[in-house]
Amino acid sequence: MKTLSLKNLQKTYFDPYAGSQVTAVHDVSLDVEQGEFVSVVGPSGCGKTTILNMIAGFIPYSGGEILLDGIAVNGPGPDRGVVFQSFALFPWKTVLDNVSFGPKIRGVPKAERDRIAREYLELAGLSHAADRYPNELSGGMQQRVGVVRALANNPAVLLMDEPFASVDAQTRMTLQEELTRIWQQRKPTVIFITHDVPEAVFLANRVVVLSKGRVLDQIKVDLPRPRVWDDLMQDETFKRLSSQVLQMVRSA
Amino acid sequence: MFVAPLLALVAVWAVVVPLFDVNPRIFPSVASVANAALDTIRDGSLFRHIGASLLRVGLGTVIGVVTAVPLGIAMGVSPAISSFLTPLFRFFSVLAGIAWIPIATLWFGYGFGAIVFVIFNAVFFVVAYNTLLGVSTIPMTIRNAAASLGAGRWVMLTEVLLPGALPNIVTGVRTGLGFAWRGLIAAEMIATNVGLGYMLFVARDFYRTEVIVLGMIVIGLLWLLIDRLLLVPLERATIERWGLVRRT
Repeated sequence: MKTLSLKNLQKTYFDPYAGSQVTAVHDVSLDVEQGEFVSVVGPSGCGKTTILNMIAGFIPYSGGEILLDGIAVNGPGPDRGVVFQSFALFPWKTVLDNVSFGPKIRGVPKAERDRIAREYLELAGLSHAADRYPNELSGGMQQRVGVVRALANNPAVLLMDEPFASVDAQTRMTLQEELTRIWQQRKPTVIFITHDVPEAVFLANRVVVLSKGRVLDQIKVDLPRPRVWDDLMQDETFKRLSSQVLQMVRSA
Repeated sequence: MFVAPLLALVAVWAVVVPLFDVNPRIFPSVASVANAALDTIRDGSLFRHIGASLLRVGLGTVIGVVTAVPLGIAMGVSPAISSFLTPLFRFFSVLAGIAWIPIATLWFGYGFGAIVFVIFNAVFFVVAYNTLLGVSTIPMTIRNAAASLGAGRWVMLTEVLLPGALPNIVTGVRTGLGFAWRGLIAAEMIATNVGLGYMLFVARDFYRTEVIVLGMIVIGLLWLLIDRLLLVPLERATIERWGLVRRT
């Protein structure tokens, strides 16, 4: 069952420096099934972050449609959880209060929302950090909080905007493995934006390659799960898919 | 560590005044100021003046902060409001405080109302401007994060904009209180018959330099106490804990 549907999505905006209209997204159509993990890759300027911001409702779209469970998206809302590259945690809230923020707004009583938040913190191996403030955590831990904060709100789709781009390489691999594990347990619908091709292949059921505001191609990834780097790095299928996607991105 | 520089200053004073045989009408000795302190404490006048001054500063500051923060936030979220009001703020911020004393005494008469108004005025513009600054420094991604978790206007205001602007609000209150404190002393010299400023001003008429210097010391010490006991702990409990400012 498809949950998210982009139809002929388009975005133009006025660039004050160029003094003219710029088209960031020409014509993108994409259907995402419930429980699917879709990676979107492409070179800088291909429009991938613009698309994510339109789905999230942070910026309006100029043409086409975004439907979530058949209803047109209009502005940000809790049905679309977002994980940001810059983490965007609330510095004035403890880790626990960051994660329980979504349920709190929905009016979930304190005891219940704290239980939900602790359950998700445990899922991310963060139980010990519940009472700490974000600035007391490493970047990798902060982004774990960012992920479970979005998940704890039980969104219909989870939008991730290069979430692991600002952590170090070792931490990034751990976070990627944890994300696949969490995805397997919870089966959220995920759209994952990245420019890192192995990351895109490692995580996804399907990789969408964007170029100049259009969908260039899509590739299914049928690698078995659970996925761990120690296995996949030597895996022939993984290597073949990665180089296939990489070639597309480079020619894009 | 904190009192050492102050003690050093007193030590220099204790040496210099007898060394050069300074006329007490020009500058008093340490002992005469200490005596003046004991006298005014004993007859209760020192605490009467302090009490009157603190009440005015407290009330003016509370009114100033309570009105300035909502306006600053409104300016922070609405470019239209902010661009309309910014020239007015520039204009009034240079006038804030003591320039209002003459007209304030015409409006409120000599006394409590006029002085509280001057304090309010000194605090209001600084706090409003700093609140505006605070709101505009909250990263857009944090506001987007709150919106995508379901925050509406009210939640955005109370859970994001207010705490996010708090470091700047605290800075504003600190700066504003500094202005207010100076404005208070000036206003009390003109517009009342009780308070630390009045105490200084009257002592001058009687060449009581020891009372003048005592008053100046009390004014400075009270400010240090307000800062140490009120503002610094507030900062430590909130914005330093959150990592929004580094401890200096």
